[in-house]
Amino acid sequence: MKRRDELLVGLLLIVAAFVAIGGTLWLVRGGLSAGYPMYTRFAWGAGLKVGQPVLLAGVNIGSVDQVELDPKGTILVTLRINSSYQVPAGTTATVQANGIFGDQLIALTPARNFTSFMSRGDSIPVGKPAASTADLIAGADSIEKDVAAILSTSRKQFVDDGGLADVRRTIADMSRLVTQLSRVATEQSAQLTSTQGQLRRVLASVDSMVVDSTLKNVRTTSANVASLTGELSKTNAQLARVLARVDSGGGSAALLMNDPALYKQVVQLLARVDTLTIDFKKNPRKYINLEIF
Amino acid sequence: MPIRATLRTAAGVVRDVGRRVYFARDMMRALTEPSLWARETIRQMRGIGVDSLPLTVIVAAFLGGVTAFQTRYQLFPGVQLSVVGLISRQSIVLELGPLLTALVLTGRVGARMTAEIGTMRVTEQIDALETLAYDPVGFLALPRLIAALVMLPTLVLIANATAIMSAWGILLVATDVRSSDFIEGLRLAFIPFQVVYSLIKATAFGGAIAFVCSYQGYVTEAGAEGVGRSTALAVVIASVSILVLDAIVAGLFAPYIQA
Repeated sequence: MKRRDELLVGLLLIVAAFVAIGGTLWLVRGGLSAGYPMYTRFAWGAGLKVGQPVLLAGVNIGSVDQVELDPKGTILVTLRINSSYQVPAGTTATVQANGIFGDQLIALTPARNFTSFMSRGDSIPVGKPAASTADLIAGADSIEKDVAAILSTSRKQFVDDGGLADVRRTIADMSRLVTQLSRVATEQSAQLTSTQGQLRRVLASVDSMVVDSTLKNVRTTSANVASLTGELSKTNAQLARVLARVDSGGGSAALLMNDPALYKQVVQLLARVDTLTIDFKKNPRKYINLEIF
Repeated sequence: MPIRATLRTAAGVVRDVGRRVYFARDMMRALTEPSLWARETIRQMRGIGVDSLPLTVIVAAFLGGVTAFQTRYQLFPGVQLSVVGLISRQSIVLELGPLLTALVLTGRVGARMTAEIGTMRVTEQIDALETLAYDPVGFLALPRLIAALVMLPTLVLIANATAIMSAWGILLVATDVRSSDFIEGLRLAFIPFQVVYSLIKATAFGGAIAFVCSYQGYVTEAGAEGVGRSTALAVVIASVSILVLDAIVAGLFAPYIQA
């Protein structure tokens, strides 16, 4: 009985010790495998706690192992990364909000086109932090101020300075204008209807046979004009050829036109002929001495 | 005369404190004689620890499951579900595990101690021990105190583990919390001192149960009725002592449990 008591008590104590040590290690390190440490240093680490997740490109690869205040004023954070993961070279670390209640996580953002991995125990450089809740609230505050200013101006313009009354008056004027336009449109519509009726009547009175014969005449005339145009073209061509020949300098006409000396001689000849003719008229006997018998 | 009555009451309280101090001194004195208490201590460890294991595990399983289940339905939409793991762990390890285990064991173990020692007192077995030159405090009370100081933390460790496992199981089966959420919350802001804090509480509660219940049994008077009265009184004093010690330990060590 006594030996059995000792056995049971010892067994219970061993099991409890195993539970305590194993459970604590599991909670602290995420298992009996230790993982490996990486370090990073933040200027501001509000809300950082041991056990918070470390995400690489959004995937949980470890947890925060230790958060220490460096005497120089920065926060030295030890990350415990699971042995099955590696951190790419060029990765940057930022503290990001996890949910909306102040919980934090460490986000590791890998560089693009990395070619190697960081060594175990390296320090990960800090990246550009995401906008915090305070930043967002500050942004919302400035927007609120802008909106308030716009509202205030609008109120002044529309209410205090009577802008709203102007708008109402304008709307009333517009309404009257629309009524008038509507009336004019109605009248115009009536007139258009009567004009349309008249046009229909005129069209109905036009004899289609006359129109046909007129059209035929027009076609004939058109054909005549076409043939005339053809003949004119031919004549034109002939004239062009004559002119070309004149230009080229061949023949009497060309010589007459192109040789100034000849022209002068012709003029002189004509003058002499004129003189001769006048003289002939005055003294015909001088030239004709007709004696009959 | 109210003043005289008040003074008499005050004197009675002081006298009770003094008797307990003497009782504690007798136990400390008996520590120097392991042959007197060593064998009985193993037997008491079996009675207090091993035999209480099923009750402790059942209580812890229910307490862990219900805590996690209720915590899940306290969250309003938008809160990340890993919070359930964090709140369950903190509630169980820091408070509910040690406290409920101790209160349950007050009924099972403490009442039994008072009844056993009280019966020995009223049947004059303690007088017989004194006649045989045995130190009754060292032979009866000290083994129970040592056994309780060792076995309460042991049981609380197992209760904590059971409660967390139960919480995990209940969350997976009955709620939309996934294992990854629960484990993430379970590891969040955890430091080993939180387990030590739980063990400090358990040790204090174990000491309170054994000391109060042994003393009440030891000072039992007036036959079977006295045994009943002593047992009831022991359970009440031990329970209140546990709650007071819980507050004292929290006041002393709570600043150190933050990660």
